[in-house]
Amino acid sequence: MQPLFHIRDLSFTYRHASHPALHGITYTHQAGEFTAIIGATGAGKSTLCRCLNGLIPAFIKGTLSGELTILGERMTGRPVYDVARRVGLVFQDFEAQLFSTNVELEVAFGLENFAVPYEQMRDRVREALGRVGLTGFEGRDPSTLSGGEKQRLAIASILVSRPMILVMDEPTTDLDPIGKRDVFHLARALRQEIQGIILVEHETEHVLTADRLVLMREGRILADERPQELLSDPGLLETNGVRPLQTTVLLRRLGLPTTGLDVDTAFHIIQDAGWRADPAAVARLHQPISNLADHEPVIDVNAVSYQYDAGPAALDAVSLTIRRGEFVAIIGQNGCGKTTLVKQFNGLLRPTKGSIRMLGREASSWSLAELGRRVGYVFQNPDHQIFANTVQEEVAFGPRNFGLPEPEIDARVVEALQVVGLRGREDEDPFSLTKGERQQLAVASVLASDPEILILDEPTTGLDYHGQRSILDLIRRLNQTGRTIIIVTHSMWVVAEYAHRCVMMQRGRIVADGDIRESFKDPARLADLALEAPEAVRLGARLGVPVRSVDELYGCLTR
Amino acid sequence: MREVITMWKYTRMVVLVALTAALYAAVLIPFKLLPLIPGITELRPANVLPVICSLMFGPAAAWGSAFGNLIGDLLGGTSGLGSYFGMLGNFWYGYFPYRAWRTLSSSDPIPWSAGRLARYFIVSLLASLACAVQISWGLDMLGFVPFHILGPLIGLNNFVTASLLGPLLLPILYPRIKRWGLLYTDVMETEDLWGGRLPYLAHLFLWGAVLGGLILGIVISLGVTESQTFTLNLPGGAHWSLSLSDIPRWGTSVGTSLMPLIGLLVVGALLL
Amino acid sequence: MFLYLPYNTFLHRLHPATKLIGLILLLVVTVAFTTPAEQLPGLGFVLGLAVLSRSLSNLRRILPLVVTIMLFSSTTWSLFRRVGVPFWSFGPLSLSRESIQYGLAMGIRLDAMLLSGMVFVSCTKVEEFAFGLRALGLPFPVSFALSLAFRLVPLFFTRIGIVVQAQQSRGLDLQTGHLLQRARKYVPLLVPIFIYAIRDTDLLAMALESKGFGMRGTRTEYLRFPFGWRDAAIIAALLAADVIAWSGR
Repeated sequence: MQPLFHIRDLSFTYRHASHPALHGITYTHQAGEFTAIIGATGAGKSTLCRCLNGLIPAFIKGTLSGELTILGERMTGRPVYDVARRVGLVFQDFEAQLFSTNVELEVAFGLENFAVPYEQMRDRVREALGRVGLTGFEGRDPSTLSGGEKQRLAIASILVSRPMILVMDEPTTDLDPIGKRDVFHLARALRQEIQGIILVEHETEHVLTADRLVLMREGRILADERPQELLSDPGLLETNGVRPLQTTVLLRRLGLPTTGLDVDTAFHIIQDAGWRADPAAVARLHQPISNLADHEPVIDVNAVSYQYDAGPAALDAVSLTIRRGEFVAIIGQNGCGKTTLVKQFNGLLRPTKGSIRMLGREASSWSLAELGRRVGYVFQNPDHQIFANTVQEEVAFGPRNFGLPEPEIDARVVEALQVVGLRGREDEDPFSLTKGERQQLAVASVLASDPEILILDEPTTGLDYHGQRSILDLIRRLNQTGRTIIIVTHSMWVVAEYAHRCVMMQRGRIVADGDIRESFKDPARLADLALEAPEAVRLGARLGVPVRSVDELYGCLTR
Repeated sequence: MREVITMWKYTRMVVLVALTAALYAAVLIPFKLLPLIPGITELRPANVLPVICSLMFGPAAAWGSAFGNLIGDLLGGTSGLGSYFGMLGNFWYGYFPYRAWRTLSSSDPIPWSAGRLARYFIVSLLASLACAVQISWGLDMLGFVPFHILGPLIGLNNFVTASLLGPLLLPILYPRIKRWGLLYTDVMETEDLWGGRLPYLAHLFLWGAVLGGLILGIVISLGVTESQTFTLNLPGGAHWSLSLSDIPRWGTSVGTSLMPLIGLLVVGALLL
Repeated sequence: MFLYLPYNTFLHRLHPATKLIGLILLLVVTVAFTTPAEQLPGLGFVLGLAVLSRSLSNLRRILPLVVTIMLFSSTTWSLFRRVGVPFWSFGPLSLSRESIQYGLAMGIRLDAMLLSGMVFVSCTKVEEFAFGLRALGLPFPVSFALSLAFRLVPLFFTRIGIVVQAQQSRGLDLQTGHLLQRARKYVPLLVPIFIYAIRDTDLLAMALESKGFGMRGTRTEYLRFPFGWRDAAIIAALLAADVIAWSGR
């Protein structure tokens, strides 16, 4: 049978690059298949996607060899619009793929370019919007949609051209849990009608339902197997920058077959092998994660409400006390008020009602500069603050603004760079660093002012597993040296494994606040926030152990 | 001037027009709150953008500045017939820097040496004044603001912002844009660019137009020439005279008497 | 556009090209007159349009601007324009009955223009604006760049806010220092704002190419606006007003 498409010995080197981004890729896709691609940053996943819809080599210049054929027809060398009609490509960044001022026009845009007759356009637009669940949104301005809705709109705007193959390049990376859920749901449903789906993804639990799983490394295909097979090799995934399923990591450590990918199967494998909870170890777990109850409160929020002009209340009578040395995670859907809350802590926003005491004084009595120095804030995207020509200059910016003497600034820059692991790269251009390194640089530039409290807004977004681990380990070290840490995140394994305490927010209110073990006990409450505890926690619950991580669970099992 | 048209073939250039325009408008609007002349112009730190964008994105910055200014007017509630002159003036403001730089230097427009800094000041002065003369001529003609108030104000505001901020920003931005392959000379094919013609004559025309336009505009607008005749004695006994008192309506006199100089500006732009 | 008001009035329903041409024709009328007495009917007409298009609420938003323009324009022109017999003078400044009249007229002219622009944006969506421009012959890539820019402005606005906050929390203070020092302080703001905007160029361009933007052949249009007798009537009436106003000068 003729394959849907075939890639033969494809290599590509970007103009001005020294190494090829793709290296001898050969791949055959049969009609009806759903393939997921995983791999570390720089493995060539996005480059492959761009080859598939003809952007490479028609739009992005470089050296290409090998070829792509669709249903036996050679595509290599054709203009983008010709290939793109057959292969639709959805990008990670939903802001950068929406151009229009209303939803309907956004979907129609491709049809207009492809000169589809007017008579057909309306039906096709209606159909595409219906397909992604955006019926009724026709006249809305895309900028008023949520992230998940924007990404579904982007998918509709591709679907409407009826491509044979749909390629999605990390479509959910920038989305919150509800947005992610909806997009994955859609991707699965589309299998019925699109002959070929390719999904690049780095969250392992979401690739289980694919027919094939391709692991890429340094421009090559390292493995191409059924997901069940590839995912049961946690070591291979981990060395390639992909987070393995926690269930398989535990099974491997217990010396059991790693075929139990989901919590249920893993539980039975463990139970059947005779492993059970060790009461002594479990008893140790019931001690508090950190004993800070007698530490002084550094943040004391008292019935604070906040309202952006004329909008609904973003914070609604929130009260919260955070003590010196705590590691607090704040979770909840986008728009629930997390960021609004933490911005009160360093004075970027001031409460509309209620009061906050920071470091023992009324927040209103601190100037923004004084507070900014003692309460460091690392913004979600490091590119929102990087401006300098060198790493050194970037890190020195804060201390210099706060009026420290030059010799001290130098010492602090050295120290901050040492801590984040960028020592020795003082003279490099910040913009030539990788995303993970830029994130570390952003942390260093805040650390250099030696804050007592450090706030990090989604520090792991857009990083691969290695990048995530390295920034999280850094944050943990900072906490261990006595700094109070507050992170805002959507990533549940991060919360479980690193934080001591979890504050859950919903519609401007705190709906739960407590020790991690307590917080993760109630699956219903998490589900209410479209969240789910990580596999290790759920597996622990089945085994009767309130653990936070694979390490803890391993330590609690005995035979 | 040809690349101003041919650039529309390139998707990246189209996107750069939109990004420059949006950036310009987004930085402009907050400063509408600090008007220098209410409804006409305001303190505009955004005004460094057309110049530096021009040196990087070439023709995309000319269109981008024109559109950005229009959007700023429409969204900021200050639109009118004046906006068309605003567009035209800002088009020049984004057009002259990259065109003039080509004729002055073959190196990258990063003001790292005294020579290059001086050249940077020259191109931004030319662009600032061209923008000022174009807009003030139009608005005086429409009866919005007297030329002698608006002309120096726009010229100064543009030039001061561009001179203060440009040399600080370009060394940081230019190398990065170059690395990303977004310089207009990298995006566009050589055959779509235009080499220019008679650059010296063009400079002569342009400086004559902007300096002459500015001075003449101020003089007329202040009313100094009332019932006077300008006489220019040319070598060889010829002389050229202009009597302004004949012009019946004072309000349009700046308009008509600057017309030839505006024409000269356009001719200069075409030759540069 | 931020100022668009979603009503369905007679003015909203006009063909986009009619709105564009109509706006220009209307502006041309306002330039014809130089005395307040002649100008006032024009201003009244614009206000009438505002009532018809239900855009008075937007007009109210720029009321402070309208008032300052009136004051500014009438004082400067009154002082600088030399007509009639001055009853007061000081250096280059003088006042006469005629110059005051002229100043008032210019103030009203400017206000009438601003208000008509406001009525236009109140009843025209960005996509209609772009469509109108195309209908008048503007090539598609140009109208597209303009409408994309409109869409990006609010996004950039938000980003600028974030950058300002990020640098403030690192101690950036824009309030102090002399001119050059202050200029330097704009660097940590303008660099990230600029880089962050331009970084998207390739992504946007790729997304566009992926939707066939590079075809540049004949396109079809999803939107359709009938050009009706109302459109013809409006244009004819405004054209007549232009001719009368300018021939009567």
